Amino acid sequence: MNLSPLDIVLLGTVLLLAVGFYGLLITRNLIKLVLVLQILVKAAVMALALAGKSSGNLGLGQSLAATVIVADTVVAVVALALAVQVRKHAGTLDVTKLSSLRG
Amino acid sequence: MTGILIGLVIGLPWLGALVLWRVSDERPRLQHALAVAFSSAAGFASLALIPFASAETAVRIDVGRYFGELTFVADGLAVSLTAIACVIGALAVIFSMDYMRAEAQLSRYYAFILLFIGAMAGLVLSGNLLFMFFFWEITALCSYALISFYNDDPKAVAGGVKALLITQVGGIGLLAGALTAYSALGSYQVSDLLAKAETLPSNFLALTAFGFLIAAAAKSAQFPFHTWLPDAMEAPTPVSALIHAATMVNAGVYLLARFYPAFAQVPGWTLAVTLVGLVSALIAAFMALAATDLKRALAYSTVSQLGYMVYAIGVGGVLASQFHLLSHAVFKALLFLAAGAVIHASGTRDMRRMGALGKQMPFVRNVFVFGALALMGIPILNGFWSKEMILEAGLSHGPIWALVGMVMVAGMTAFYTLRMTWLVFFGEARESRHAHEAGRAMKVSLGLLGLGAWTTWLLIEPFSALLQHTLPFHGISSLNLSELSHEIFAAPLTYAALIVIALGLGIFWMVRKQAAGRRESWMDVLSRESFGFEWLNRRVASWTVGLGSVLQRTQTGVLSWNAVGILGALLIVLVFLVWSVK
Amino acid sequence: MENIAYLLLGLAAAFCAYRAMISKHLLPSALYLACVSASVSISLYLLGAYEVAVIELSVGAGLVTVMLVYTLSVVGEDTYDPASVIPKPLALLVVGVIAVLAAWMAYPVVSRPVASGEVLLADVLWKQRALDVWVQVALIFSGVMGVLGLLSERTIKIKEEQILQMAETEKPIAIQMEEEMRV
Repeated sequence: MNLSPLDIVLLGTVLLLAVGFYGLLITRNLIKLVLVLQILVKAAVMALALAGKSSGNLGLGQSLAATVIVADTVVAVVALALAVQVRKHAGTLDVTKLSSLRG
Repeated sequence: MTGILIGLVIGLPWLGALVLWRVSDERPRLQHALAVAFSSAAGFASLALIPFASAETAVRIDVGRYFGELTFVADGLAVSLTAIACVIGALAVIFSMDYMRAEAQLSRYYAFILLFIGAMAGLVLSGNLLFMFFFWEITALCSYALISFYNDDPKAVAGGVKALLITQVGGIGLLAGALTAYSALGSYQVSDLLAKAETLPSNFLALTAFGFLIAAAAKSAQFPFHTWLPDAMEAPTPVSALIHAATMVNAGVYLLARFYPAFAQVPGWTLAVTLVGLVSALIAAFMALAATDLKRALAYSTVSQLGYMVYAIGVGGVLASQFHLLSHAVFKALLFLAAGAVIHASGTRDMRRMGALGKQMPFVRNVFVFGALALMGIPILNGFWSKEMILEAGLSHGPIWALVGMVMVAGMTAFYTLRMTWLVFFGEARESRHAHEAGRAMKVSLGLLGLGAWTTWLLIEPFSALLQHTLPFHGISSLNLSELSHEIFAAPLTYAALIVIALGLGIFWMVRKQAAGRRESWMDVLSRESFGFEWLNRRVASWTVGLGSVLQRTQTGVLSWNAVGILGALLIVLVFLVWSVK
Repeated sequence: MENIAYLLLGLAAAFCAYRAMISKHLLPSALYLACVSASVSISLYLLGAYEVAVIELSVGAGLVTVMLVYTLSVVGEDTYDPASVIPKPLALLVVGVIAVLAAWMAYPVVSRPVASGEVLLADVLWKQRALDVWVQVALIFSGVMGVLGLLSERTIKIKEEQILQMAETEKPIAIQMEEEMRV
């Protein structure tokens, strides 16, 4: 089976993605959830760079990857600020106890 | 010029609605004045539009690739219905000056009435199926808002919600039909559908035809959607007169009349239309026989008369049906407004508690009698001419058993109309009530409509000529007065019908003493349950609520389950993509 | 040779991510995340995306780690780490299928690389994707506003003081009204 380097990178990216999605489902702590989102972001960045490399347009791939990093870092910051306020007002960071949006 | 008038007829009421929305409720005289001004202006504009009617597209605005062109066509059908809507709208608003004198939140009331008038005009003038649906939905919204106008009364709110739900089911039929026609024709234009109906594949055309029939039946409260109109009588009476007697419920009949040439060739469609009209007329007349609430009796009567119009279209008498639409709009609005005056004066809607009010309210009694005579089909009021035209059409083109049913309905109509008139205005006073005569504004509206009940039949010649020249697909031939009189008076059917009507009147006269009895009979139960359809409504409602509570379990509020939902959707998308790429 | 490097880096990233996820204490999780970031950054460098590698290292291993540690210090450590609500087999199934499908979809495209025309990042970023840059500026601005709004304790405290003051001044009035009613 001859795998090119890019195939290996693809497999690594998909593996990281899978770990991230699994964490998204399993985690119950809000701060750990932010951490899991960061793992997913890294997988996305890898995928974008990989796509750029394999289509020959690394400049576009990198610029998109940079945008994604900026956007998701801002999201993480605001999410952490929210988590701090949630802790202060609801007393807990456990996702199962924060179900006031129950239908 | 036509385009400007069309713009005025739709735009003036909508502008009025916007202005009245901003007027404060602290200034009721200004509200009344503005409403009367805007609705009267719209009424004059609609009358001015009549000479300009033609089959050509008057206004054409391009709205982009997906919606085609927004067109307005001022042909005979459209112009006559616009005039009815705007003129009767103006009269109902004038009536409201007295009727709603002491009510609160008038800006909401008048704004919705004006919005409705503009939307109704837009609905019938529209030449684009999608925009016809758009205006259709606006009228449904206004109807809901006005039925639930007294929004702290749970019965009013329930009536409004019921009307909204049932007419929306019909709206789905209209939308489905419009989209089916679009997918086959590539255009939303009504004229395209009428011209190219034969070229559609037969199942597409059948789907469109029956979709439109469902929409029309739901909007006009025909069988099997007849349960919402009696409950809609919680609305203020001018609203009942305008929306639920003279205009919105005519939208269904209009739809059938407009598309008759396209759908007549669909096998089974005309029979279905005839049946819907016949059954509605029969069961509604039956339910009116025992009704105790004055407005409910009039509501049943409306359903029954609309059944006449639908039946007429089913047997091919489009001119007869539209002429009866005109007569019915006038005399039914008259009856409702007069009933409103009675209810306002005596404080009750229950006919068993009224009686001998004619002595205290002579003017209202007289106009009510005019309306009642027209409803019964007594010569020479307008109801007689149009009803006989329908029966003639039924004789020449329709099945005989349907005609027999319709003649029976005429007899039942005579019975319940005389019963209504007798219980309210004549006989003995069952409860001593002090009822004052109607106010001046009420008298203006009632007087004008009363005059109309005696005279609108004279318009047969210009009316039929208008329809003949502006409706190229319908094949209507014009009729003048002498031809009409000859046709009606020479036909034996007319005399048979008159005999049945006299029979109905006579039977009531014999039982008039028991008319005000208070015991509930099997007829009352059957009416109240609308021949079993109320049970059906309740079943559907409880089934929907049950489904809602079952599905409520998916809304856990826990983030992890939401994440499962997100990933599940991603999974489905990926499966779809991988499968389609192969 | 390259293959082995990529393989090791990929496995290291996945392993660190897994440890970060299942660790019971949050501080080790933050450190494992930094390791993931480092592995990803080296992979990016080997791929040829030099600028993004630097950004990734500084942001992922620096900024995010610092923020997580700061938040942990403010919030405090919850030592109770409960089991997950979703049954693990279900989670594994969903994730597994998604991963397989994604790899299947991407494989044909990735394994036929096109020779790269030398496009500079600077060109792309500032000319073609200039709108992206504006979007990023707007994002950062709104993020800062959001955090300021969420974390400012001063305004909340001032409002609390105001409410307490109003309650103080109304107390004598309320007592007066009660006395009047009793009379």
